[in-house]
Amino acid sequence: MEKKRHNVWYKVIISAVILVAVMALSCCLGSVKIPVKDVIGAVTGLTEVSKATDTIVNKVRFPRICMAALVGGGLAMIGAVMQGLFKNPMADPSILGISSGSAFGAAVVIVFNINFVFHGFTGTYLGAMAGALLAWFLVYNIAKISGEHDLNSTLLAGIAISSILSAMITLLMTLHRESMEQVYLWMLGSFSNSTTQRTIMMAGVTAIIFPILIFLAPRVDVLKLGREAATGLGVSASRTTGILLCVCSVLLAFCVANSGIIGFVGLIIPHCVGFMRVYKMRGKLVMCFLVGAVFTLLCDTLARTLIAPGEIAIGAITSIIGAPYFLYLMLKNLMRERRMR
Amino acid sequence: MNLELKNVTKAYGSFKALDDITITIPENKLTVIMGPNGCGKTTFLRHIVNSYSSKMSVAYVPQETFGSIGMTARDVVSLGRYDKSKFYVRESEEDKKLISGAMKDMEIEAYSARNLDTLSSGEKQRVFIARALAQNAPWTLLDEPTANLDVKHADMLMSVLKSFNRSCIVVLHDINLGSLYADNIILMKDGKILSSGDPSTALNCELLSEAYETHFMSAQIGERNVYVSSKL
Repeated sequence: MEKKRHNVWYKVIISAVILVAVMALSCCLGSVKIPVKDVIGAVTGLTEVSKATDTIVNKVRFPRICMAALVGGGLAMIGAVMQGLFKNPMADPSILGISSGSAFGAAVVIVFNINFVFHGFTGTYLGAMAGALLAWFLVYNIAKISGEHDLNSTLLAGIAISSILSAMITLLMTLHRESMEQVYLWMLGSFSNSTTQRTIMMAGVTAIIFPILIFLAPRVDVLKLGREAATGLGVSASRTTGILLCVCSVLLAFCVANSGIIGFVGLIIPHCVGFMRVYKMRGKLVMCFLVGAVFTLLCDTLARTLIAPGEIAIGAITSIIGAPYFLYLMLKNLMRERRMR
Repeated sequence: MNLELKNVTKAYGSFKALDDITITIPENKLTVIMGPNGCGKTTFLRHIVNSYSSKMSVAYVPQETFGSIGMTARDVVSLGRYDKSKFYVRESEEDKKLISGAMKDMEIEAYSARNLDTLSSGEKQRVFIARALAQNAPWTLLDEPTANLDVKHADMLMSVLKSFNRSCIVVLHDINLGSLYADNIILMKDGKILSSGDPSTALNCELLSEAYETHFMSAQIGERNVYVSSKL
C-alpha cells in the first residue's frame, strides 16, 4: 500500500515537471522562435530581454499557453467527475448541455453582430457565458422537478436541452449564412482569443474550484457503491451530486466561453489516467488536471505552429492525435487485463 | 442498541411497500429477512439505512451495484473506512487491519489489484460485502448477498457473519441457509411481518406456504428441519 501511494505522487510529480517543460517549449515555438533562456528571462523577469521578445512571450504566448493548460486540465477533471458520478465510461462534459448552451450564446452574438466590450470581455465571450448558464439553469431545474437530485433526469434533460440548442444553432447558421464560417470556427475551438485578463480570470476560477473538487473527490468514489450504501457511510447522494454538478458546470462554462468546444479531452484523459493505474478519484483528478493540461497544450502548440501564421482548429488536432493514442492505450490495457486473468 | 421500528409505512403511490410495521430487531444477532419477491424486504432495509444513518454508521450492500466502478478491489474495500477517515489522512493501522481482514474473510485477496469491472458477478459481490465488513459498523445490512454466490461462498459468508457476533440483517431467498444460520428470522408478505423470532418458532410449513403461496413440506435431517416446496 505504501508503495502504491508513493506511486501516485511519483506520477503527479513527473506529470507536473512535464507540464512545466511543455509550457516552456511551447513558449519558444511559433512564427518567431525564441530561445528557452529568453523565455525564462521574460516570464520571470530575472534577465533582460528585448522588448519584442517580452511582448511576444508575456502578452501573446504565455497567456494563451496558460489558458490552454487551464482549460485542458479543467475539461479533463470535469470528464473524470462525470464518468465517476454517472458510473459510465462514455460520460463527458458535454452531457451537461452546457457546451451547446455556450455555443448557442456565442452564435447569437456572432450572427446578430452584437459587438461590445464590457470591462475587457468581448460580446462573444459574455454571450457564451450567458448561454452556458442558461442551459445549466434549464437542465438543473428540469432534473430537480421531482424534488431530489436525480442523475438520470440530469442526463436526459442535458441531452434534450443540448439537442434543442444545437438545432437552434443550425437554424441560426442556415438563416444567416454570412456568419456561418465564424460560428463554425468558434465551435471548433481555439485559444487565439486568450488575453492576460481572461487567463487571470480563468486561473482564479480554477483556483477556487480545484480545491472543492479535490475535497469532494472521495465522495464520488463512495457514491459508486450506491445511494443507500453511501448514506450509511455518511455521504448524502443528493446533496453531493447537486454540489458537484453545480461546481463542474461553473468551471465548464468558463472553459467553453474561453476556448469554444474542445471535444475529446474530457472523454479520453480520465481513461488515459486510468490506464496509468490511478483509480481513486482524488489522485485521478490531480492527474487529469496535469495530463489534460499537457495534452491540450501540445495540441494547441501544434494548432498554431503547423501551418503558421495560419491556425488549425484545436478540436481537429485533439481528435487526430488523441484518438489513435487513446486506442493504443486501450489495447495495451486490454492485453494487460487479459494476462492478469 | 436494538433497532426499534414503530408503525413504519412506506407507500409508492397507492402501493404500500411497508404496511404499518412495528418490530424490534435485537442487537448482536444475525437476523434473516425472508419473503416472496416484492414483499418489501429491500424497502425495509433502505428504511433502516435512511432513518438510522444520521445517528450511526450503517454498512449496507444493495442487491446489485450498477455501472462501471473503475477501481481496484482493494480500493473498493478501503471505501468502507471512508466515514472514519479525515481529510487526507493516511490509512491507520486499524484501517489496514480491518481492510485486509475483510478481504481475507471474503477470500478476495487474489484479486486485490484487479479492476473491479473485470471481475465476475460473484467476485464483485464478495468485494462489496468485504467493503461493508471493513466498515465495522454497529449494524451491517446485506440485501440478497448470496444471489451471485456459489454454495461454498454463500455458506462461507453466512458463517463469517455468524462468527462476528455483530448486529446483521440479511435478506435471503434460501430458506434453509437462513434457518441454519439465523438467530432471528423475519418472514414478510405484502409489506407486513408474517412471523418473527428464532427459526424454530418463526418458520414452519404453514407460515411458509402462506408467505410464498405454494405448498411446503419439511423433513428432518439430523437435528435440522429442511423445508422444500412440494412442487420441487
